[in-house]
Amino acid sequence: MTEHEVIKLTNEVFIDSFEIESSKLLPEANIFNDLGLDSLDVVDLVVALQKKFAVTIRDDERVRNIRTLGDLQQFILIIKKEIGK
Amino acid sequence: MKRVAITGLGVITPLGNSVEAFIGGLERGENASVYMPEWKKYKGLRCLVGAPACLENEKLIPRQNRRSMGRLSIFAVQAAQQALKDANISKDTLSNGRLGCVIGSTMGSAESIAEAFETLLPENDLSKLTSTKFFQCVSHTAALNVGQFLGITGTVMATNAACASALQAIGAGYDLIRLGQQDVMLCGGAEGLHPTVVGSFDVLFATSTRFNQTPKETPRPFDAKRDGLVCGEGSGIVVLEDYDLAKKRKAKIYAEIIGFNSFGNGSHVSESNREAITSCVNETLKRAKLCPQDIDYINAHATATIQGDKEEASAIRGIFGATVPVSSLKGNIGHTLGASGAIELIASLIMMKKSIIYPTLNLKEPDKDCQGINHVMHPVAKEINILLKNCFAFGGINASLVCKKED
Repeated sequence: MTEHEVIKLTNEVFIDSFEIESSKLLPEANIFNDLGLDSLDVVDLVVALQKKFAVTIRDDERVRNIRTLGDLQQFILIIKKEIGK
Repeated sequence: MKRVAITGLGVITPLGNSVEAFIGGLERGENASVYMPEWKKYKGLRCLVGAPACLENEKLIPRQNRRSMGRLSIFAVQAAQQALKDANISKDTLSNGRLGCVIGSTMGSAESIAEAFETLLPENDLSKLTSTKFFQCVSHTAALNVGQFLGITGTVMATNAACASALQAIGAGYDLIRLGQQDVMLCGGAEGLHPTVVGSFDVLFATSTRFNQTPKETPRPFDAKRDGLVCGEGSGIVVLEDYDLAKKRKAKIYAEIIGFNSFGNGSHVSESNREAITSCVNETLKRAKLCPQDIDYINAHATATIQGDKEEASAIRGIFGATVPVSSLKGNIGHTLGASGAIELIASLIMMKKSIIYPTLNLKEPDKDCQGINHVMHPVAKEINILLKNCFAFGGINASLVCKKED
């Protein structure tokens, strides 16, 4: 999966599940402060990402360090590469 | 004890999503029953008729509020908004600790419960469940969501007594105000239409099954050709208010609640009986300090089941004889279950205001075992000073409420 595909699919999750306008989906956007997600939304974000990318990230410690949309997209890229190895 | 006024009304119904639209449908004699072909996929479900409401404008509710709402909670929030507007209750009142809500339903959102099990069970995988599904499924979902959405900091409570839920909610709010514990209460019920809900009645042979191809002919409360209930959905919310405070702020008062009671039958989970209904109604009249002849109109529970209608008619005949006009609105909107007590009370309050009684739709020939009471089969002009609303629920839980017109 290319970086472009990961960004596109991640953004789709934010648009479809959290009704966020695509213009706000910038790599530097903070998931909490800029995109407005809260603790419940993060649970749903993980559920949606697992479904979208066919990955298991629910218990991955690295999820806790994610702050921005760019962080999240890079994390997904890493996970997909790990699966590919 | 303080006196309690009804000062605001709000509804989502199978006949429309405002009090005006709902009443317009009743006045035109409309029946919201429609054929539900999508239910055919459920093996063993014989009733293919429902009375759906229109889910609309839900995105006006912010996503972070809406995410914990199933269909019935959205209906409840929208009805509550209408009722608050109608009563002209200010926003700052919502969070002053003196305003609360009691809203009931048969269960949590049936649609959400079905989705949760469809997600969970195929692979027994909990990780696919979203965080807010629980809040859509719980039995107090309507009350919690209305409370959270409106920022209510007073009493927030749910009554879950199936078809008596809304009337019990209004009764609970009435008591909280009478006792001086709250000044304003948003009370009522909500329900979502779903084949699993219809199925729960269908397995008991309580649904209408002979009119799948002619849905406008069912349900038929009290009628000789009645064959069971038709499930509907929606929400009815009333604003109850300390009567003196309502007068002080010159609020519009639809009526004063002067009596409420809810009794169990202690005998059977699904078969209603005339003795228990009689006992419930008589106790309500006693609490309101009324005689049977004081009642001007009875809004019946009458869902069009063989057993229930017979027992209710028998109880009414025993208490009131054939004098007091009786009608059921189930022929118009089906049985909205946990919402029915509030939706039908609201229609009755409008009848009181307009001095007209809307008839029992589809009642063409009162069944032999439902005769001897004053069936309203056509619109009747009549001054209604005091009305009685009945609700009888599975589980043997009965409830009655008496309202008096404001002088």
